[in-house]
Amino acid sequence: MEQPVQTETWKAQSLEELIRILHRVFAEDKVSVEEVQALMESYESNPEEWLQYAKFDQYRYTRNLVDKGNGKFNLMILCWGEGHGSSIHDHTDSHCFMKILQGNLKETLFGWPEKKGNGEMTKKSERVLRENQCAYINDSIGLHRVENISHTETAVSLHLYSPPFDSCNTFDQRTGHKHKVKMTFYSEFGERTN
Amino acid sequence: LPAGLSQWFPALEVLDVSGTGLTELGAELLALPHLRSLLAKNNRLGGPGSLPKGLGEAPLGRSLRVLNLSGNRFAEVPPALLELRGLQSLSLGGNRLHGIPSDIQELRSLEFLYLGGNFITSIPPELANLPSLSYLVLCDNKIQSIPPQLAQLHSLRSLSLHNNLLTYLPREILNLVHLEELSLRGNPLVVRFVRDLTYNPPSLQELAGRTIKTRNVAYAPSDLPENLVRYLSLASNCPNPKCGGVYFDSCVRQIKFVDFCGKYRIPLMHYLCSPECSSPCSSASQSSTSQSESDSEDEASVAARRMQKVLLG
Repeated sequence: MEQPVQTETWKAQSLEELIRILHRVFAEDKVSVEEVQALMESYESNPEEWLQYAKFDQYRYTRNLVDKGNGKFNLMILCWGEGHGSSIHDHTDSHCFMKILQGNLKETLFGWPEKKGNGEMTKKSERVLRENQCAYINDSIGLHRVENISHTETAVSLHLYSPPFDSCNTFDQRTGHKHKVKMTFYSEFGERTN
Repeated sequence: LPAGLSQWFPALEVLDVSGTGLTELGAELLALPHLRSLLAKNNRLGGPGSLPKGLGEAPLGRSLRVLNLSGNRFAEVPPALLELRGLQSLSLGGNRLHGIPSDIQELRSLEFLYLGGNFITSIPPELANLPSLSYLVLCDNKIQSIPPQLAQLHSLRSLSLHNNLLTYLPREILNLVHLEELSLRGNPLVVRFVRDLTYNPPSLQELAGRTIKTRNVAYAPSDLPENLVRYLSLASNCPNPKCGGVYFDSCVRQIKFVDFCGKYRIPLMHYLCSPECSSPCSSASQSSTSQSESDSEDEASVAARRMQKVLLG
């Protein structure tokens, strides 16, 4: 992705419209990170529009596919119960946008572990993302852990990954060792998968 | 709660009074015969009388399945709560609990227990007597150790222990074969062996006992004083699969790092018969990460000469 010649500012009035605009944006040869981030932030979360995708699991967070972006991106909704969190992970050379639809999520950034190191991974920064905020990360920025630290509220987030990917590495915070994992969808287009 | 609630809504199954500033849940609840789910999070509950008396005798005692009291001010689990025999899901997250009562085992139907975000310092072994418990959340507390009895929770699928004060876990935790999720981050888990030697060599009696057991020296109760016959019966097998040895009192407590569920490397406390033994760590041999396997071996060879100072309380 590179800076486009002209920056357009879109405002998505609904989830459907957001998806339509995203399709158009990603049909171009060049896509701007800032443009996509602004576009995702512009959509004001309306639970009525995404409740059908928000399927929670008791034991862990879920990934619910919303749109396949004509092969250019995957758009999905993640549902986080109280206390649910992810492991530290990378993004397989893709771009990752994460917008909060409900509740709050804490994002902790980590540096890549040293090649021959056998030590604890370094926490670079952390922040709590609020409703409608959109964060961005890619492998050159670093790795992150995302968690719902609330013990009373659930959280829902909208993720866009481009290009789409179905596996990534998870990292052990104490040793930096990585472990490849396949990512699966809890539901696709509102239907529970098996 | 408004008086007459049960007259207006006798068929009420789900009641959500979250975020209403309630300081107590009154006796109006007792008259709701079909109530299955009560959500009262983010209120001001916690003082004496927060829950009405006589919960056990009311229909609620059998019908209530879900109770969410998260985000309140409970400093202890209210004893009245333990009368809810049909309860399947209980959340007391984000309160001010300092402990868990051993009578928690009364909640025989409990499957889901959320106690994250309190000030809990220890876990009663009676928690293990909940046969259906599948989801246990203890994150963000002040827990220093896990009782080995927790390994009896055969239905446990998810165990959340992150952000506590754990330095190691009991080896028995490996017995939780259905465990799919285990969070341990944010604990001061022992990362490397402490370079301290505290191994008391076995006594002569122990050495003799070991020889008798390992060489299968035959003896009859009439051959030995009663106390020695009893002593010989207490031999424990060394868990090292390559060592057929036994030990009595003199054992080595060793922290061994194990790949658990293929995702985590955690320190477990092992008992071995001698410093030369190494522990089995069955999970490590099936580990998918070759890096951590070789690390385990490095650490094992270090451990062979340098033993962990006893970390057990």
